[in-house]
Parts: sequence; structure tokens; C-alpha cells
Amino acid sequence: MANAHHAAGALPAEPEKATLEGKNKLLGFWLFLGGEMVLFGTLFATYLTLRHGTAGGVSAEHLFKLETVGWSTFILLTSSLTSVFAMIAMHRHQLKALLGWLAVTVLLGLSFLGLEIYEFVEYVHEGHTFSANAFATSFYTLVGFHGAHVAFGVLWITLLILQGLKKGLTVVTAPKFYVASLYWHFIDVVWVFIFTVVYLMGKVG
Amino acid sequence: MSSEHHASSPGKPHRVEGPKNHYLAYVVSILLTMLAFAAVIYGGLDKSFLIAFLVVLGIVQAVFQLAVWMHMKERGHTFPIIGLAFGFVIALTAVIAALYWMWW
Amino acid sequence: MDWLTTVDHKKIGILYFLAGGFFFLAGGIEAILIRIQLMYPDLHIFVGGTFNQLLTMHGTTMIFLAAMPLLFGFMNAIVPLQIGARDVAFPFVNSLGFWLFFFGGLLLNLSWFMGGAPDAGWTAYAPLSSDTYSGRGVDFYVVGLQIAGIGTLIGGINFLVTIINMRAPGMTFMRMPLFTWTAFITSALILFAFPAITVGLVELMFDRLFNGNFFEVGQGGNVVLWQHLFWIFGHPEVYILILPAFGIISEVVSTFSKKVLFGYSSMVFATMVIGFLGFMVWAHHMFATGLGPVANSIFGVATMAIAVPTGVKIFNWLFTMWGGHIRFTVANLWALGFIPTFVMGGVTGVMLAVPTADFQYTDSYFVVAHFHYVIVGGLIFGIFSGLYYWWPKITGRLLSEGVGKVHFWFFFIGFHLTFFPQHFLGLIGMPRRVFTYLPDQGLDTMNFISSIGAFLMGIGTIAFMYNMIITGMKKKDAVNDPWDARTLEWAIPSPAPEYNFKQTPLVRGLDALWKEKMAGNKEMTPAEPLGPIHMPSGSILPFFMSLGLFIAGFGFMYGKHTFEVEFFNTLFNNYIIAGFGLAITLVCMLLRSVYDDHGWHIEVEELEEKGVKA
Repeated sequence: MANAHHAAGALPAEPEKATLEGKNKLLGFWLFLGGEMVLFGTLFATYLTLRHGTAGGVSAEHLFKLETVGWSTFILLTSSLTSVFAMIAMHRHQLKALLGWLAVTVLLGLSFLGLEIYEFVEYVHEGHTFSANAFATSFYTLVGFHGAHVAFGVLWITLLILQGLKKGLTVVTAPKFYVASLYWHFIDVVWVFIFTVVYLMGKVG
Repeated sequence: MSSEHHASSPGKPHRVEGPKNHYLAYVVSILLTMLAFAAVIYGGLDKSFLIAFLVVLGIVQAVFQLAVWMHMKERGHTFPIIGLAFGFVIALTAVIAALYWMWW
Repeated sequence: MDWLTTVDHKKIGILYFLAGGFFFLAGGIEAILIRIQLMYPDLHIFVGGTFNQLLTMHGTTMIFLAAMPLLFGFMNAIVPLQIGARDVAFPFVNSLGFWLFFFGGLLLNLSWFMGGAPDAGWTAYAPLSSDTYSGRGVDFYVVGLQIAGIGTLIGGINFLVTIINMRAPGMTFMRMPLFTWTAFITSALILFAFPAITVGLVELMFDRLFNGNFFEVGQGGNVVLWQHLFWIFGHPEVYILILPAFGIISEVVSTFSKKVLFGYSSMVFATMVIGFLGFMVWAHHMFATGLGPVANSIFGVATMAIAVPTGVKIFNWLFTMWGGHIRFTVANLWALGFIPTFVMGGVTGVMLAVPTADFQYTDSYFVVAHFHYVIVGGLIFGIFSGLYYWWPKITGRLLSEGVGKVHFWFFFIGFHLTFFPQHFLGLIGMPRRVFTYLPDQGLDTMNFISSIGAFLMGIGTIAFMYNMIITGMKKKDAVNDPWDARTLEWAIPSPAPEYNFKQTPLVRGLDALWKEKMAGNKEMTPAEPLGPIHMPSGSILPFFMSLGLFIAGFGFMYGKHTFEVEFFNTLFNNYIIAGFGLAITLVCMLLRSVYDDHGWHIEVEELEEKGVKA
């Protein structure tokens, strides 16, 4: 932890790993993602247990709108790609491109959230409220938790963009960008399982 | 758009970080997703097979994203891989237990 | 003020010991009150709901607020020293973990004063724990444990990264001391187990506070789901409790037998197997819930399998002692008391692992006897052993051996008097969690003896408190290495200086310090030249982040409450308080990210003078 600032001149090739602090942050975050896997795993297990518990209410097969979900998936997947571009720009030490791609990621994330809120409002109008039955509660908890993660990520990356404008790309800020992009990929991976297990399997019955 | 080599890895050959691989992962993900949606919308497949098919597609896509976008293939990722793998095993145990419990 | 802002692992360790010790006393008093009520049949001192609150809080406090923090105290105080590091990987997060635990524990215990403590058992099974059948106490349980749980989770991540990334040069994984190994595996268990309980608690909270239906059978929910989620966490939790104690015993036994630990690699491997298998056996807490014979058999066999690596450890400790030069210091007395006691607890565990037999044992005092044997006879004995062993390293003073022996014998004898009869109480049919029993059913004598034992344990604990006080009044005159020990922490002064190691040591083998001693060196060989040492700055943010969540917790718990004062209704029913608390936490997180901590430096001149100001 002795040298938090780079030597005068060149930023190292992989600035996020250039300091012990950076390496620690990256490893710590990977491990945190392992824990998040168990978190989502148990939420999935709960959902799988309760997905037929509709207490006579509307079921997944009749409720889910695949078109909306298709668009959400496409948007989130694309946002994951743009966050990769941001990291490539970071490794090329191109601050403006890094921040630009992160901004695109944020916009796509906001679009995803907008679609999801629209989708939930539609469901509520059809009687599928949080308190309606166990299927509904577990659906909103699982998908909602994911959405909350997206919202937190949007806020986090926005604040990082602002920080980047102020402080630039250094061995101190690089790990923060890298960790945020890992987080963003992770929530996209979780979404793959959500659209598969919740929506597609829900439609199948 | 030339490729960028990591300064820290002599000797061991590894994929270049250029955008090509990332575009590939993106396209594969989109294709796998479209395939999954199509299988459901088509409606002509046997239910158990369909579910297994969807799960496999999902896992393949997840692995692709992890490997390419999250740099899991590269050196120095031993502990992250152990960490994620372990988390996945335990999550999977919980999911399998839930499924077994509901449907046996 | 320094204590509120410290990010130094040694001070945070002491904070954990103080808070954990306080909660240990609280849980102990709860236990004594339970045993007073059960001393004679048909007593009416603490009955009904009061008794349920006592037993719930005794279990919850002891496990979450006493045992785990005391273990974190050890991990904080000792692991960085054992690996030759100057601090943990994330000092700020370390402090945050402590304050989250503290505020979570505080919130939980405020329930006593705010309508009643939780009363659904430390296991809070649905539907008893739903808002249909339980009062607000369970809300305190749900919220308090979530807050404390986040603290534990981040602490686990901290130690994993510290151990992976910050070992001194030459310290490969297979040269780490056993206590560090067990801290490492325990941290991995924490990382993967705590998310499961978090999900369970969130689901229960949603049901109770926001009209969810996870556990509402009439709305399609499932009550056994709670048990699965709880025990997927709960079983690894007990391994989280015991593995560090195993590590302590390994250190103490080898030091006081003056012999290297027998079978180091098998000890490491056994710890890993126990950790892994610990995730695969949770349903042995659910044999009687109707999972069916196939599930019961699988979990029964898997449970019995854990006895194998555990047995390996027991034999290795015995072989370490065999042929060694044994010193009966108090630390070693605790370790020697641990071994047969834990084995007794372990074998009743194997008995419980047989599903058909468990149908008889379940929910009886047999189970209570088993888990107290392993938790108290295992974990608490291990903690006392570690306290007597590492007290000089942490405080610079040695605890009195004379008073220590009084402590040990009262507690040890009291323990067996309390819990040994409980096996038989269970076998002849006394159920657990009952506040009284009829006379002349064969239960009277054993309950009486059990209560006497509890009083003896109380006396032993008082002896320990007396020991701490009189020791605290002595001079800080402990030497670096009062026990002629084997591992790195004994290479530095007692107590450890603020920067731990003047120069990071070079490790040349297992039992790093012993290796140097055998080569004729008085000190470790340094791995770096003398230079200025960078130290992280303290921060008040962890305190406020935890306070924010504490406030938010109250905001959510009272969100649907009707107050007499209309203003409070506005504040709480619109979730303004909840939002305010969350905002405090988020703003602190933002401040932390935006303001870079450059730390400060200890210069070489200060290092060369005797002792740097703490």
C-alpha cells in the first residue's frame, strides 16, 4: 500500500492491478460476487419452489409478456458489451472513451429499468400485485432484487463517471472502474438465468 | 483497433484483448437468447426436453460471458474462479434441493 | 474518540472482544434465568412468553452476538500477525464490519425495552415467526440480524483477501499456521453461508412488514421453505463457529507440547473437507419434516461422513501430545478439556445423524445436550484457551495462572454437571423449549443438578472477570514470547506495536519462528530494508454508515405502526425515517469513494526509538 500514486509519467498497462490496494479490491469484489451467486441462487430456489403457488390467481403462462422481456434482454446484453468497450478504452488509457462508453452503459441500464417498471405496472393492473400470492411475492422479490441491483449499478457508474471527469484515470480510480464493470457483467449473467428460468420456463408451464 | 497485449504475461499464449472476441461473445449471446425465445414461442417441443434445452442454453451463455467478458480465462484469476465456482456449486445445491423437494 | 474511528485491526479486535464479551454475559444471564426457572418442577418465575423470549435471546445472542464476534476478535488480533502483515486488506471495511455488528446487536437487544424480545426461538420457524403468530419482537430479530449479518459477511471477505494477498515473503499456503488456515476456511464459509440467511430474513421481513406470501400457505406459500433457507445457512454457521476453535487448539497443543503439530497437511485437508461437507448436510435438522426416506438417508450419511475428517483432527492432536514435553498452563488446560468434551459432543452428533433415531431425539433435551457439548465444550473452551494464550500478545500482560485454574475448574465441572444429565432428560422424554415440567416424572433430580452446574459456570465466569480486572492493574511487562512458541506473532513485542512488524519478515518454513530459533537466531530475518511505514487513516464513516442502517431498521419496523403523536405517524408511515437512515449510509459511501485516503507515515527515526506512540 506504500505507493498509491504512479511514478511520474506512464500509467501502467493494467492500471487497476498496479497497486496492492487495486489487487485487493479486485479479488475482494470477485469473492463478493461468489457470495452474490449464493444470494441469487437461494432467491431462485425460493422462486422455483413457489412459482405454482398462485392461490387461484393469474399464472406465469398467461401473465408474462415475452416481447418486453426480449427487448429488455437485448438492451442489457448490449449494455454489457458497451461496458467491455469502456474497459478496453481504460486499458488504452483513453479517459474520454472510457467515460463515454460508461455513459452509454448507464443509458442502456436506465432503458432496461424503464421497460421493467412498465412491465411491472402492466402486471399490477392485471391483479398480479406483490401481496396477491406466493408466486407473485417471489417473482417480484427475485426480479425486483435484480432490478435493484441494476438501479444501484446505474447510480454507482454515474457517480464514477463524475469522479472520472474530476480526477481522471489513475491507479487509484482504475480499480473502481474495473470493479463496477465486473458488477455490471455479473448482473447481466444473472439476467440470463432470470429470463431463462422465470420468463421462458414460466411460459412453458 | 489493433490488439493490446498485457505487459505482464510472457510466454503463455493468450487471446488478445481486441474487440473481436468481445463482438463474438456478444453475437453468440444474442443468438443463444434468440434461440431460447424461439424454442418457447414455437410451442411444438416436448415440455421436459424444452426445459432442459433452455437451461443448457442459459448455462452456455453464462459461461461464454464469464470467460470472455469477465476475463476468467486469463492468468491470475485462480481465486476468483474458485470463489465463483464454489458460489455456483452451493447455489446449484440449493436449486437442486428445491426442485427435488417440489417434484419428487 | 480514537476507538470510534480506528481502522487498526488490533484495536478492532479488542472492540470485538469487549462487545462480544458483554453479549456473552448477557446471554449467560439469560441462561442462568432459564436454569433458575427449571431448577424445580412447577415454578412460576419466568413462564410462557417471558420464557420464550429468554430462550430465544439466549440462543440468538450467544451465537450471533457473542461467539461470532469473539472469533472475529481473534481473527483480527492474530491473523495479520501470523502471516507477517501490517494490517488486513481493507482496514476501513474491517471497522465497518464491527460497527454493523454492534448496531445490529444493539437493535436486537433494544427489543427488551420496546415491546418484548423475539420469542420464536433462535431458529424463528415459520409460521410461528409470521406476524400472525408473533409480535414485534421478531421484527427486531429480522432487522437486527440482517444488519449484523452484513458486518460478518464483509469481515469474511476481508480475511479471505488478506490471507490470499498479504502473506509475508516465503509464507506459502502450506507454511501458514493452523489458526490462519482455519480462519481462511471459516471466512469462505461465511462468504457462502450468510447470503442464504440474508435471503431468508429478507423473505420473512417481506412477509411480516410488507404483506408478502413466502410463508403464507393459504396464498400458495410454503413454511418448510424457511427451514431449508435457515439451515442452509445454519449448518455451515456451526462450522464457522467451531473451525477457528480447532485452529486455536492446534496452536495451543503444539506450543505446550513443545512439538510440531502432527500431520499438518492432513489437518489442512481435513479442515477443507469439513468446510465443504458442511454445506451438504443441512437437512439433518429437518429429518422430522417429512422430506422422505431418500432425502433423509442422503443427508444422514453425509452427516456421518463429517465425523471422519473431524476424527483425523482429534487423533492428530493426540499424536502431537504423545512424546511431547507437556506444560499444564491454563491455556493448555482448556485445550485438554476441549478434546474429550468435544468428542462427546461429536459422538452424540453421529447418534443424531441416524434419521430413524432422530425421530425420537428431535426437539428433546438430547439435542440441547449435544449442541451445548460441541458449542460450549468446543467453541467456548477453545475461546478461553485462546484468550489465556494470546492475552499477552494483545494486552502486554499475562493473565493470572492461579485465578485461571479456579476459572477453569469451576467452569469445566459446572459445564458437565449442566449438560451431561440433559442427555438423559432427553432420552426419557423431556422436550426442549418448555418452561416447566410436572414433579415426580423422573425429571426433578437431573434438572436440579443441571441448574447447579449452571451456577458453577457462572462462578467460573466471574473468576475470569476478576482475572481480567486484576491483570489489567498490573504493569505491561510481558515479553515478546512468554510461551517459547513457534509462530510469527511471537516474534514481535507484546503488545504488538502499531505497525506490527518493523520490517516484513522472511519466512523460511512451517512454524516460521521456530525455524529461526532452531537455526540459532533470536529474531526473524527481515525481507525488506528499514523504511517509512504507510498506515491507513482512521475514519468516523463506518460508525455513521452503521448508524444509518440502524435508523433505517427502525424506520422499516415501525412503518405500519400507529403512534399517538401524529407527527411520528407522518415520519414513519411514509417511510421518511427509513429513507433518511438509508440516505445517511449512502452518503457516507459516496464520501468514502470521493475523498481519497492517503494515510500517514511512521518515519524511520520513530521506528528506531524504543516504541512508537500507539
